[in-house]
Amino acid sequence: MIPAWMTKEEPIAPPRDGGAFALRTVNALGGALARLRVQRGRDGLPIPAAVKLLLLLGLLILLSLARNPLLLLAIAALVLGYTACLPARELGSVLRPALGAALLALLLFLPAMLTRPAGRWNNWIVVGKVFLSVTMLNLFNRRTQWNQITKALRQLRVPGVFVFVLDLTLKYIVLLGSLIVDLLTARSLRAVGRDRHKYRSVGGVMGVTFLRSTELSRETWEAMSCRGFTDDYRGL
Amino acid sequence: MHIPENYLSPVSCAVMGAAMIPVWIHAVKKTNEELPKEKIPLLGAGAAFSFLAMMFNVPLVGGTTGHAVGGTLIALLFGPNAACIAVSVALLLQAVIFGDGGVLAFGANCFNMAFVLPYVGWFVYKLLRGREDQSSKARPYVAAAIGAYAGLNAAALCCAVEFGLQPMLFQDAAGNALYCPYDLSIAIPAMMIPHLAVAGLVEAAFTVAVYALVRKTAPDLCYERILADAPDTGKKSRLPIFALIAVLIAACPLGLLATGTAWGEWGAEEIAEIVTNGKALGYTPAGLEKGWSLEVPMPDYALEGMNEVLAYILSAVIGVALLVIIFKLLSLVLKGRRNPA
Repeated sequence: MIPAWMTKEEPIAPPRDGGAFALRTVNALGGALARLRVQRGRDGLPIPAAVKLLLLLGLLILLSLARNPLLLLAIAALVLGYTACLPARELGSVLRPALGAALLALLLFLPAMLTRPAGRWNNWIVVGKVFLSVTMLNLFNRRTQWNQITKALRQLRVPGVFVFVLDLTLKYIVLLGSLIVDLLTARSLRAVGRDRHKYRSVGGVMGVTFLRSTELSRETWEAMSCRGFTDDYRGL
Repeated sequence: MHIPENYLSPVSCAVMGAAMIPVWIHAVKKTNEELPKEKIPLLGAGAAFSFLAMMFNVPLVGGTTGHAVGGTLIALLFGPNAACIAVSVALLLQAVIFGDGGVLAFGANCFNMAFVLPYVGWFVYKLLRGREDQSSKARPYVAAAIGAYAGLNAAALCCAVEFGLQPMLFQDAAGNALYCPYDLSIAIPAMMIPHLAVAGLVEAAFTVAVYALVRKTAPDLCYERILADAPDTGKKSRLPIFALIAVLIAACPLGLLATGTAWGEWGAEEIAEIVTNGKALGYTPAGLEKGWSLEVPMPDYALEGMNEVLAYILSAVIGVALLVIIFKLLSLVLKGRRNPA
């Protein structure tokens, strides 16, 4: 049974005080973290990550060297065809960065295209290549789990220390990111109504995060020494 | 049937474009009401069918070529309103990337192929279809065939009238036409005879073949069932449809076998030599010669010095992929009908 006072509606209209900054940070961080963490079982094709990575590198090199229009067309057909198979929700996040990059390339070329119409065709090809490269990279990124990527790097004989640093960085991004999300959420929950000192919290959040990161790195180092880490890192 | 750049005067283009705006608004609104949200990405497959159908050029009587549009087919699967959107997007892609149909003439092309065609096709189909419980097994297919035939020819007629009005309305001081040089007495027979004789039949055959496949493999895709809120049949395989698209892509170079240019789609450099009623035109209309045109990335589905067949197939793949992507993105924006459950 719900008591009567709970069912009553109490309109509250907090004054607008530009609190969007904290919320936006939380949202952006939360989205990025969710992507890192929830990336599970979404690999479209059961291809080992190392093969995918090689394929990606090969295609990128081929695309940037290709002069034959037919070859460019074939790569475009391949990339767009694969993109078309993605579920609708993922399409936006794959295409948006690619369109942004292509737009930037177009802006850079715009003066040249206006003053020298003869080279316009080549400029368009470069814009197309930028779009396709970024799309490919995004596709790989979206369809491969992070730990699979670092494993693939190890299999491709990338020195262990690089893979180790990359892996640790990713882990710390998740840990420290969720710490920031927690801090900002707690702060916004406690700050009801007008909050004039919003920016004071920034320093606090950063300070706490920094302290926590040093703590974490010390703990990691200790744990690894205790377990007899021999500098050979094979991925997670 | 794609009206190229500069065949219609800019004024006619503006009028046709303005006529399409309320149609598009209506179509989007109705699609939002009628079509369940999960069906909108599949509209991309419908648009892909239309795009591919338009790549299959068939030789027509009199040395010109024509093609099916598939607008009635999409109307049968997703409703005429959704068909209007799907064909419009396919036409836009063709105009901007492949140079098939003018960018300025986009409104006119949409009026013919995205508005007249699917709506006429759908209403003829409905008229002949009868009530579902009474009709025989063959009746929907016959109705679909006649609807498709009627729709395509209605579109061709509109196109011919648009061409035919140009020389009557726009002439220079010497009496030479500025844009399309053929008046109604030439344009209508030149467009209608081949379309009545060949292209309409191709459209009907294409429509019935694909419609039969869909009714057998994925009956819940048919517009009548969507409208009637029919329960799921459980048969949901989309595989045959995408397999058919793949086969059509692989087969589309057959469209290259039809040599010659479609009536009313000549380039500015060839129009002076076109012979009509035993006499060549003899001049290039001023609007065509000096008209504006967009530099599209792949004019006529190929680039210079390419293997034509491969380029054609790759164009088809790119076109289909882009259409699927566009409609998947649209499905995020369009609200679609909520399911009662």
